[in-house]
Amino acid sequence: MQNRVNRAVELAEAAGAMPGPAGEESYRRPGIWRRLRALLAAATVNRGARIGLALVLALVFAAVFAPWIAPFDPDEMGAGMFLSPPSAAHWFGTDEFGRDIFSRVIHGARLTIQVGVIAVGISLTVGTLVGLVAGYAGGWTERILMRLVDVVFSFTETLIALAAVAVMGPSLTNAMIAVGIAAIPFYARVAYSVTLVERNRAYFDAAYVAGAGHMRLIFVHLLPNILPPLIVVATLGVSSAVLAAAGLSFLGLGAQPPSPEWGAMLSAGRDYFTQASWIMIYPGLAIMVAVLAFNLLGDGIREALDPRQKHR
Amino acid sequence: MARYLLQRVFAAILTVFVTTIAVSMLIHLVPGDPVQIMYAQSQGTTPEQLEEVRARLGLDRPLVEQYVTYIGRVLQGDLGHTIRGEQPVLELLLLRLPNTLVLASAALLIAATIGMTLGFVAAYKRGTWIDTVLMTTAILGVSMPHFWLGLILLFYFAVQLQWFPVAGNGIENLVLPAVTLGLTNAAIIARLTRSSMIDIFDQDFIRTAHAKGLPKAVVLSRHALRAGLVPIVTMIGLQFTYMMGGAIVVENVFGWNGVGRMAIQAIFQRDYPLIQGFILMFAVVVVTVSLLMDLIYAWLDPRIRR
Repeated sequence: MQNRVNRAVELAEAAGAMPGPAGEESYRRPGIWRRLRALLAAATVNRGARIGLALVLALVFAAVFAPWIAPFDPDEMGAGMFLSPPSAAHWFGTDEFGRDIFSRVIHGARLTIQVGVIAVGISLTVGTLVGLVAGYAGGWTERILMRLVDVVFSFTETLIALAAVAVMGPSLTNAMIAVGIAAIPFYARVAYSVTLVERNRAYFDAAYVAGAGHMRLIFVHLLPNILPPLIVVATLGVSSAVLAAAGLSFLGLGAQPPSPEWGAMLSAGRDYFTQASWIMIYPGLAIMVAVLAFNLLGDGIREALDPRQKHR
Repeated sequence: MARYLLQRVFAAILTVFVTTIAVSMLIHLVPGDPVQIMYAQSQGTTPEQLEEVRARLGLDRPLVEQYVTYIGRVLQGDLGHTIRGEQPVLELLLLRLPNTLVLASAALLIAATIGMTLGFVAAYKRGTWIDTVLMTTAILGVSMPHFWLGLILLFYFAVQLQWFPVAGNGIENLVLPAVTLGLTNAAIIARLTRSSMIDIFDQDFIRTAHAKGLPKAVVLSRHALRAGLVPIVTMIGLQFTYMMGGAIVVENVFGWNGVGRMAIQAIFQRDYPLIQGFILMFAVVVVTVSLLMDLIYAWLDPRIRR
């Protein structure tokens, strides 16, 4: 786990330093979008990252246009025969209620994107605030906050997510929140490290000497500069969030039937998979492809940023 | 060395302490009345009975007092009783903990053996098609949900080929869950081993060893492997925490009778004393394992040993 943080911190620091090596001395740094675009351009030199990006775009496309792509309503019972194998009419076959699995998987992409955005949004927002405040304030605030983060971090995210669901009760929304909460310590640590680096840059000193207040220093000067690297790290985080939320749904603690959430579909189809293996193959494959997409993209960005990787 | 160890032990105690606070307050975070929620599934509980439970769990007293009572009981080995069946929580957990530990350890063994071998080969053959194939397999493995892999293995090896029983708790039942948990983590270990070994292969002492004309096998085993082993082994130790987390899910796929399976049932039944006990016990196991890993690391790394 420590290793994961170290790698993320290295990545974030590299991403922070990315466009404009003049950043060190300059009093103004390029805007967020310019830096993110430059990063994406650098990352997609890598073949894996291009495949990852294409898969992510396909996933987003499926999510946005699901009602037009899916041939059937995802909840329509008897859209075909019960448990009929994949065919021209039902590409992924049908489930125990005769629902079209292909349509359900396509609609499931919406939930997966939602999970990714909401869970990572929660952990990124709260984690960034905690890390930013700790890194900016220093002293006791820093020590207490980061010690607390360390303590929470020493548990696996699975346990934190389970505890959160145990408190809030099973539902997809709660699973997203739980997965989001579980990853807060991870982002807090990365944000903290990046804040420490940014604090020592010339633009920060310039703003400080110019008499900027705490709020201005934190939100106008530090935040915009730590965000681009954190967003890069967040791309890596989406894959684990999707995997964790699907796991909770599979256990019955997330999305509930008849939701076409992929983990919930796997869980609901368990009793039938001996007679109809397609029930478990396609939703699982969908989870894997979604996770793979973000993993490939994240790996590509990491390789693009890591000078040591170039000649490997 | 002593200073380092003291720091680690202190951190471990602090973690457990913070966990006890979090665990004892957990029940108050539940939206609504936790006692009513716990008994929502039992028919015909009277308001008097609910009040009695509230008093027995100490929920009617001030928070600080509740915590002091809780920690006092925990220190005496009393984690309370389950809501369903009134069984002692600690006893139930201890009965099943060995199953989870066996599963996690077997999986770790599989993951380490496969992961380290493949990672080492990929690093040695870096840039060749072998490396590409191995690393593509690894990223597929990292992306594969273990509950899905579990279902697939169950389908082919237990249902179709009937090599293993579908459910149960014997040694033959351990194979599939351990392989499931082990394979997905082997992918992680393979990736970490590869990048760690590549760093070593690039170092001067390896070049020197080659330049001296030592046979390849000697350079690889005596120089590279020895240098690379320390960080890899500690890293693998840290994977144990992941294994414990993964075991919760895998136990539920295979019906393996460990604490993870019991915890999920407890969440469904809203059995808070059992959930609290599970979290606390999980924390203690995780903290103990990472403390052990710190000790091993300190013992292996001479820079800390001094």
